[in-house]
Amino acid sequence: MGDILSEISLTIKNLGDSGKVQNLVNKALSQNIPVSDIVEKGLRKGLEQVGAKYEAGEYFLAELLFAASIMDGAMQVLRPKLKKKAIEKKGTILLGTVRGDMHDIGKNIFKMLVEAAGFEVNDLNVDVDPEAFVERSRGIKPDILGLSCLLTTALSEIKVVVDMLDEAKIRNGLKVLIGGNAVTKEFAEEVGADAAALDAVDGVAVCKEWVKA
Amino acid sequence: MTPRERIKNAMDFKEVDAVPWSENFFEESLMKFFSEGLPAHKMTVVEWAMAQDGRIVLNWPKFMGFDPYSYFGCINLWDCPVPVDVGPIPRFKQRKIWENAKYEEYIMETGARSRRFKKETGRITWYAMPQFYEFPVKDRKSWEQYKKRLDPEDPRRYPKDWEKDGYVQVFDKYQKGPTMLGLTGFYGFGAELMGIPNFNLAFYKDPELIGDIISHWEYFTIESLREAVETFKDRIDLVFWWEDMAEKHGPNISPKLYKEFLLPHYKRVTRFLNKNKIRRIMMDSDGNTQPILDLVIEAGITGHWPLEVNSGMDVRTLRKRYGNKLFLGGNLDKREIAKGGEAMQKEIDSKLPLMKETGGYIAGLDHLVHVEFTLEKFKEYADYLREKLTIQ
Repeated sequence: MGDILSEISLTIKNLGDSGKVQNLVNKALSQNIPVSDIVEKGLRKGLEQVGAKYEAGEYFLAELLFAASIMDGAMQVLRPKLKKKAIEKKGTILLGTVRGDMHDIGKNIFKMLVEAAGFEVNDLNVDVDPEAFVERSRGIKPDILGLSCLLTTALSEIKVVVDMLDEAKIRNGLKVLIGGNAVTKEFAEEVGADAAALDAVDGVAVCKEWVKA
Repeated sequence: MTPRERIKNAMDFKEVDAVPWSENFFEESLMKFFSEGLPAHKMTVVEWAMAQDGRIVLNWPKFMGFDPYSYFGCINLWDCPVPVDVGPIPRFKQRKIWENAKYEEYIMETGARSRRFKKETGRITWYAMPQFYEFPVKDRKSWEQYKKRLDPEDPRRYPKDWEKDGYVQVFDKYQKGPTMLGLTGFYGFGAELMGIPNFNLAFYKDPELIGDIISHWEYFTIESLREAVETFKDRIDLVFWWEDMAEKHGPNISPKLYKEFLLPHYKRVTRFLNKNKIRRIMMDSDGNTQPILDLVIEAGITGHWPLEVNSGMDVRTLRKRYGNKLFLGGNLDKREIAKGGEAMQKEIDSKLPLMKETGGYIAGLDHLVHVEFTLEKFKEYADYLREKLTIQ
């Protein structure tokens, strides 16, 4: 069992053929390896290694996107076999680009990676009113609220959202992660966010750390 | 020295009387400056022209627009460009396809579909950039269709009044800054056609398509510009090669992909330019480009702008690493400069002395003048910087 899962993760790590990964997943299924093991010990492990290579400067955006697409292809094979709750959800994330900003590339890349890492994501898209973030946070009770912002002119919107969450007293158990070209760690501290992600991989690592705690 | 002589010498690491200064303004920043008291009449350009665009034989003063560059005393790199149209011909007709109270959606001239804020909402509309949600090239079939619009031989690429001697005279006489040839880079072109995620994915999923897009773009670039380049030769002071191929973490594609897919094509274009005595070739890319800079230099690029501080770019490090292999432009942190006062002065004083000493530098912000600048802070920056640029 270990061999085939290692081969899956290694193929993803080395950006191998998507079809090969799908074949390996089918083979693992035929050997009655639990779906949760295929996902956790094969696919996600491979994706984690890709993330590590990205952080080390060996891989770049193109490699990240391709690895996520391999993962997505493999999940298409697994999806019909998935029973409800066969794979434990790591957590729920409410995500969106703040009001006044319509940039979505970084947000979408983060979404792709964090979903592949096992989180459920509710994406409110771009130019999201602060009230919408608060209302949905109250409704779905996410573990993490992800606020994306590329424009420096829209940065102040992050503070608006954070302040409204505090006012609504729904910050307990809700972590706020900010990301995008305009944000810095110092800014996160200044506005009372829990963390700033410097890139999509960093953001995924922060989310995993939070739900582990 | 004229501004043109000054900037050419600076890019060549030769002696200058002052460091040249160049900026580029977001239109919305200028509109904001007007609302804050920028004297429009002092920036207005009125020229004697034939009335009604030649429909009546009468000399008449014509409003040509605003010129913030001469008002603030900085150089506009795009003021005297090589007049070749390298866009899709025929253009996609820009038209509105949807709207509600807040947004409107358009088919753009490049064929992309985008959603943007309505002006009536009072939001920043242009600076905020539209959300592009659909791109004209999705696969081989749509690329083959698009390619038909990229015929380098199409006579509409050159101006109706294209007459070599007349244009050569204009280029010879121009002294307000560099004459410039604007190019779209291989990555930038592909990303505009397919969107960044799909273009990046295609390097792995459909490398043949990527190869064809890039090869055609090389052929198209050289052949559409051949007549102009061979006419102007080294009257073209600067090639401004737009790429925008990096984010904060690093370049969008790895050095390996750059080397395999882009480098040979860059080299052929730069060889064509060099053969025509054009040697100052500057890459425009936001983000952290450092992991590919060795390859960029190998490609024949000799300069880099705007060197975004927020992405970890720093003229001091780059100068140490690359010496006079790379002239540099920008890198004054727009966030610090917009604060004015000590923060602004500290940012300039921490970089300008070394750049004055080592040469090969065009002073300026690390991107366009953005809308958060107040007129007051921009003037404060302009006054302080101008004073510091002179070389004793």
